[in-house]
Amino acid sequence: MQEPRKDILDFLKTQGFLNEKTVLQDNDSLSETGVIDSITLLQLIDFLEGKYNIQIPVELITPENFDTIAGISQSVMKLRNG
Amino acid sequence: MAKTTHQCKKCVLDSATPGISISTDTGLCQFCEHYTPVTSEKKEEYRARMDALLSSPPPQGKYDVIFALSGGIDSSYTLYRLKKEYPRLRILAVQFDNGFISDTALENARKFCDLTKSTYMRLALDQNTLRSTFSKAARSTGAYPGTAKYRASDICNTCISIIKQKIIELAITTKTPFIVFAFSPGQTDAPFVTLTKPFLIWMRKLFEGNLKAMGVTERNAYLINADLIQPGSPGHEVTIIHPFLIWDYDKPEFKKECLRLGWIDPDLKDHNSSNCLLNAFAIKNHLDKYHIHSYAYDLAALVRQGKMKREDAQEKLKVDATDASINEVKQKLNL
Repeated sequence: MQEPRKDILDFLKTQGFLNEKTVLQDNDSLSETGVIDSITLLQLIDFLEGKYNIQIPVELITPENFDTIAGISQSVMKLRNG
Repeated sequence: MAKTTHQCKKCVLDSATPGISISTDTGLCQFCEHYTPVTSEKKEEYRARMDALLSSPPPQGKYDVIFALSGGIDSSYTLYRLKKEYPRLRILAVQFDNGFISDTALENARKFCDLTKSTYMRLALDQNTLRSTFSKAARSTGAYPGTAKYRASDICNTCISIIKQKIIELAITTKTPFIVFAFSPGQTDAPFVTLTKPFLIWMRKLFEGNLKAMGVTERNAYLINADLIQPGSPGHEVTIIHPFLIWDYDKPEFKKECLRLGWIDPDLKDHNSSNCLLNAFAIKNHLDKYHIHSYAYDLAALVRQGKMKREDAQEKLKVDATDASINEVKQKLNL
C-alpha cells in the first residue's frame, strides 16, 4: 500500500508552507506548530479523499485523528482497509 | 548586492515573499505548479448539493441562514443573489461592528437587507476592548503561525476569527442550520464545511491560543460559549456554505449590478476592501512585520483560477503608504 506519510508531507510542502528545512516529527501537533490551519486541514482532507479514493467522515476529524502525521496516516489506512 | 526576485509567470506570488519558491525550470510558484482546476462535474455536484440544502432547509428555528454581511461589495452581492436564487430563505444578516466600518458599509448593509427582506443584526462587542485587541494583534509577531499568515493579516485573522466564533454560536443558539460567508475562492477551498463538536472545540482552542499569544486576557467574549459545544450538549448540525466557490461570476459585472441596485462605492484608497477602514493599516502592518502582503495569496489564487486578470491583481497589491487612513488607525489604536 502506498505510504500516506510521504503524501501528507509532500502536500504540506507544496500546498502548505512547510519549509524544506523544518523537521517535523510524526507526533508533532500540526496545528500548534502552525503547519496547518482549519483551511489547510480541509484542503488536506480533500486531497486525501481524492488520492486514496476514500470518504473521510466528519466525525473522524478530531485532533486525535488529524492533528499529527501519525494520526492522519493511521486514519487513512483504517479507511482504506475498511 | 540586492537579491534578484522572480515573480511567478502565472500568478502574482514572488520569491521575495518568504515561503514562496519559483521554479527555475517552469517559472511557476509551487502553487501554480501543482494546481488542478475544479472539474465541471465537481462544480455541478457542488451546485446540486447547495440547491438541495437551500431550497428546502429543515424548519428548525426562526431562520434558515445566518449570513455574514460586511456591507462590502462581495457580501452585498452574495446576499442579493442568494435571495434571488432561493426566495424562500429566511435570512438573518449579521454585520459585525469592529469599530472601523465605513458609514457607507453600514448604509449598504441596511439597504441590501431591505432589498432582500432579510433581518438585519448589528453584532457589537465592547469597542475599547476590541481596539485594545487589534492593537495587540498589530504589535504581535507570530501569534498566527505558518499558513494563517499568508491568508490574512494578524488584525484581519483576529477580526474574522471573532466573527466566525460568534456567528457559529448564534447559529447554534438560534437553531439555524446554515451559515453563509462570501469568502472568495482565494480565501477558502471548501464549498461546504460541516461543523462537528470536536472540530469546533479544536478551532476554539486554536483561536484561544492565538489570542493568548497576543497577550489578550479577556478572551471569553471572543470565543464560542464552551458549554454549547461540549460532547453530549444538545445542539443541531451547522453547515457553512461558501457560494463563491460554487457560482460562476464576473466581479466587474456584479459590481455594476449592485451599483444599479443602490450599493454605494465607499471610495476608499484601499484596493482590497470596500467596507473596513482598518484594512489598509492591517496590510501595511503585516507587510512591515513579515514581508508578506496579506492579500497576495488570495489574489494569486484568483488569478490562477482565471477569476481575475493578473494586471488587476498586481494593481491591488500596490500599497499606498501615504493613505491618510493608515495614520488615523495607528492613532486610534495607540500605536
